Amino acid sequence: MLQLQNIIFKVPASDSGKEPQSEQTIINDVSFTFEQGGFYAITGPNGSGKTTIAKLIMGINALTQGKIIFNGKDITSLPINERSNAGIVYGFQHPARFKGTTFRDLLSISLGSDDEEKLVNIISRVGVCSMDFLDKPVDSKLSGGEIKKIELATVIARNPKVAIYDEPDTGIDLWTIGPMVDLLKREQKENNTTTIVVSHNKTFLEAADTLLLIKKGKIAYTGDLAGAMPMLEDLSVCTFDELCQGENDAQCYR
Amino acid sequence: MLNAIDKKVLKEVADLEGIPKGAYNIRKNGKLEGREVSANINIETNEKGDGIVIDIKPGTVNESVHIPVILSQAGLHDVVYNTFIIGEGSDVTIVAGCGIHCGSNESEGHSGIHEFHIKAGAKVTYVEKHIAIGEGSGKRILNPFTKVFMEENAQAQMELTQLGGVDEAKRVNEATIGAGSVLLITERVMTEKEQSAESRNEITLAGTDSKTNIVSRSVIKGSSSQDFYVNLTAEARCYGHIECDAIIMDNGINQTIPALRALHPDAELTHEASIGKIANDQLMKLMSLGLDYDQAVNRIIQGFLR
Repeated sequence: MLQLQNIIFKVPASDSGKEPQSEQTIINDVSFTFEQGGFYAITGPNGSGKTTIAKLIMGINALTQGKIIFNGKDITSLPINERSNAGIVYGFQHPARFKGTTFRDLLSISLGSDDEEKLVNIISRVGVCSMDFLDKPVDSKLSGGEIKKIELATVIARNPKVAIYDEPDTGIDLWTIGPMVDLLKREQKENNTTTIVVSHNKTFLEAADTLLLIKKGKIAYTGDLAGAMPMLEDLSVCTFDELCQGENDAQCYR
Repeated sequence: MLNAIDKKVLKEVADLEGIPKGAYNIRKNGKLEGREVSANINIETNEKGDGIVIDIKPGTVNESVHIPVILSQAGLHDVVYNTFIIGEGSDVTIVAGCGIHCGSNESEGHSGIHEFHIKAGAKVTYVEKHIAIGEGSGKRILNPFTKVFMEENAQAQMELTQLGGVDEAKRVNEATIGAGSVLLITERVMTEKEQSAESRNEITLAGTDSKTNIVSRSVIKGSSSQDFYVNLTAEARCYGHIECDAIIMDNGINQTIPALRALHPDAELTHEASIGKIANDQLMKLMSLGLDYDQAVNRIIQGFLR
């Protein structure tokens, strides 16, 4: 349904000491197919390329090489809005804050209608954000949790075919994470939404049918959580794998 | 009689479909076009004959007064001195504004000098909108001057808006805020093409526990320019905040100069200012909701200037 075909993403290297032409590879030849209606979690260490993959799917960053095929159509060169209109929507890790633009404005754009009844319906459907939010400006006065709930609502309001949520639990209190997972599962089931969640949170990883573990811009593992656990546990404590000579070596950095 | 152009201008500056209800004074091309007073709101031509005095009786609540100005005469530069006396304990809305319709290559201009005496405990909302339309190539010039004197425990909210069409604008706002009084100013200005707009603000927090919040939102398109100056002076224990944001598009230029002066040890003054293009993350967000680039820009600007 959504195919990543040998995608590569490079950026100019930031180290000033290197030659001006030198590049850093962020995503290194990743191929994967997301099936219709599946629930996927993308996880991995900080800086591994999880968010980059999500942004490449949405078109926020352009691929250096490779192709993205969505429902049989090559969308590699489509701009963000056309991908959105084709059914792919992305919930940002750090949602934009505006001056003057309210939650009502964002939700109306997302729904394609400013009909009060429809707006109220979507807020009830999302459940996690309060009706009082509607006329709040989406500005720097909102807490981290509030803005993430608004972000979630604007994604769901579009009835996406593919919904990508980038660390949706950032700033969310522990008591809301459970209902949030339930909501995403419900949306997945009722609307057959292909759901991709970038997260470190175990609750999301447990909810996923398939887990993609990203390490240094490559897929290091795909499968269920149980199979990923040894690698995740290892990654969670050790960041010296390049230097690693074995855990029992006298020079082990752990 | 109001013609079709006048009606269009009235709609733009005062949101009026025709003659307003309640007290009003309509000035057209430097002359009185129509006036109505109410039991609590009196409007008289001043002694010099170069403006009006609007006298609102103490205790007047939930009433409004409209004082729009229409300018459509080629070459006319209209100057008017208006005085507002807002009686003790009243709660009123004043809708002012000037609309220029320029149909020739001669310039047209309006300078409105508005003086507010806001008595103790009074509450006033002042809405002033400036627009300029018409096919003429003459310059459209608007130079408003607002002086505000607030006694104790008064509240004033001033919404000053100029959204396009005006070639040159030089605004001056001066205010002296008494004890326990609150002044909120929001200025929204959009310029385009070769237009220029300047706003100078001299605000004095004179009384104990006086408060002010000054917000400026500027959108600078084309090759236009905008300058915004505020001098906020505190003479007592008080609180003041300045927030100025400018969005530059195309080749616009902007200067924003907020100044804070605390002449009292218990003064609390803050300011934040930003100048820049539309933030990329805002554009990305709206595009991810299906808007194309231009639609996203328009929605961001619309919200910003609301």
